Amino acid sequence: MNELIPLMVIVPLISALIISAFSKFNKVTKIFALIVAVCLPLIPLLSNYGLHYFGGYQPILDNVTNVVYHPAITYSFTFLQQVFIAMIGILTFLVVFVYLTKYRKVSGPYLFLLFLGTAAVTAMLLTDDIFHMFVFFEILALAQVGIVAASSIDYSYEMALKYMILGSIGSPIMLLGIGFLLAITGSVNVTDIAAAVHNGLVDIKSPVFLASLGLIFFGWLYASGFPPFHTIKSGIYSKAEPHGAALLQSFTVVSMISIVLIMIRIYSSLPIFEVFIVFFSILAMILGVSLALTQTDFRRMIGFLAVGELGFIGLGIGLGTQFAITAGLFQALNEIVITALLFIGFGAIVEATNEVDTRKLGGLLAYHPKVSLMLLLGGLAMAGVPPFNGFQSKLMLVQASLSCGFPELSILAIMVSIATFVVFVKTFYVMFLRPKPNDLEVEGKEVPRSMVFAMGILLIIILALGLFPDMVVNGISNFVGGIL
Amino acid sequence: MAQTQLAILLTSIALVVIGLYSAIFIDNIIKKIIGISFIEEGANLFIVAIGYKAGGVVPILMPGMDTSWFAANAAYPLPFGLVLTSIVIGASTLAVMLALVMVLYRRYGTLSTKVMLADTSKQEEYNE
Repeated sequence: MNELIPLMVIVPLISALIISAFSKFNKVTKIFALIVAVCLPLIPLLSNYGLHYFGGYQPILDNVTNVVYHPAITYSFTFLQQVFIAMIGILTFLVVFVYLTKYRKVSGPYLFLLFLGTAAVTAMLLTDDIFHMFVFFEILALAQVGIVAASSIDYSYEMALKYMILGSIGSPIMLLGIGFLLAITGSVNVTDIAAAVHNGLVDIKSPVFLASLGLIFFGWLYASGFPPFHTIKSGIYSKAEPHGAALLQSFTVVSMISIVLIMIRIYSSLPIFEVFIVFFSILAMILGVSLALTQTDFRRMIGFLAVGELGFIGLGIGLGTQFAITAGLFQALNEIVITALLFIGFGAIVEATNEVDTRKLGGLLAYHPKVSLMLLLGGLAMAGVPPFNGFQSKLMLVQASLSCGFPELSILAIMVSIATFVVFVKTFYVMFLRPKPNDLEVEGKEVPRSMVFAMGILLIIILALGLFPDMVVNGISNFVGGIL
Repeated sequence: MAQTQLAILLTSIALVVIGLYSAIFIDNIIKKIIGISFIEEGANLFIVAIGYKAGGVVPILMPGMDTSWFAANAAYPLPFGLVLTSIVIGASTLAVMLALVMVLYRRYGTLSTKVMLADTSKQEEYNE
């Protein structure tokens, strides 16, 4: 059933175009979008693991050099791709469901952008071709900008333009890096490039190879929202609709791991590569949580916390051992779910109060107990409190730091987790526990049931991953063992 | 390395450097976007230069051509295919950027980024 592998990209891509073209038929568009959204998590779950060669062009063995070449774009589908694509599919379904139930008249272009983004990150995860990855990285940037610009939030156009300008600088720089790799290996297939590097056909200390690392790394920093792009990344989350922000952050996490997994395969023989990743990850952790502490807009607060959590992922990957990379990837999966829960939960509060400033909120526990409880549990999961999934992945990261001989990194990870806990408890107290301000109107305003439903599903996933981490950790570990 | 190839590489580097200067230091948003296009075209030109072959032929196998002669003399076709895709993506991002600029120009009546993007900057500074 390897024919299902390209369908993971083709289905959302074609559906996006169909929805955009026929969006004037409101009811049909809604039903079609919902059916497609239901199918998205099912396709990866039904598909077998394996490779898909576009055009049917199989790898070619050069009898003279005894080297195998990949003449066409290849999609590789393993357990890691399955679990991440299924998770993105579930999240897309929930976001589309929340959107469809929120508005009577849906926007075709907005749904187009949601599905386009999903198709782009799926392709980035599947592809074994670095240029193909770059193409979908650009498409993803366009979708992200569109999702931000389509929101009705003040200054969303300005933020979208800023993000677009930075992206338009970061992307060609990454393309130059890919060009450098093409110049020294003659290929854009990651397996071929990695084989050339590891078989000694490329001098890994040559300036061109090192420059390619620097240029692609710069693009990765932009894609991940690591410093110096952390402010703009949290900015776009705050200027998108809350359900859109939930999907945007998942796009960021998946594009981050897609690019870094390619970089690991090519540059893992360079020790400086891991040092770079750890350095920027520490910076992201510290800056993310510090800036989150000072925020009064809770959307930006979650945005900065999400940047800090990305630092944990980078830390695991930067440590470079099989266990540490597994911990980093498990943390990535957990962050997608937890941050989505928080964005949708706080979005529900915006729906009920029309307010994003924590200083103007208070006493909401009495009015919205279900949302309050689920947000509390989501916040505890992000801070790494047992028995949630965040605890499992952060515990693995601390163990990985210790086993790699960096106890200071494990102390830092624990301190950042405590700071995350403090940020969340402070915000929770201000919004839900302290007395309600007199000028805050909450009577008669209900939280949309679709948002509560979405939060419930995400909470179940958080608990399931926290109580039974082995159901994904073993598979991820096997994948990491394969690429190392 | 052929002289033509070297000239192309130097031109691509010049385009990237000029583009970066324009994108970072010039206030006018249209000039900034032109600078961004320079960076993109510099990257594209660099990739084209990789596929250049001195005295080579266009990598299209015509009827009657000897395949071994063609393999020895044709330019490397992969970079050209990549650049074609990259140009299309560049045009798409350019169109989106200009569309956003049009909306913001109608709102602010200026092309200055200091004015156009000031509100969010001030908001961010306040938040941070």
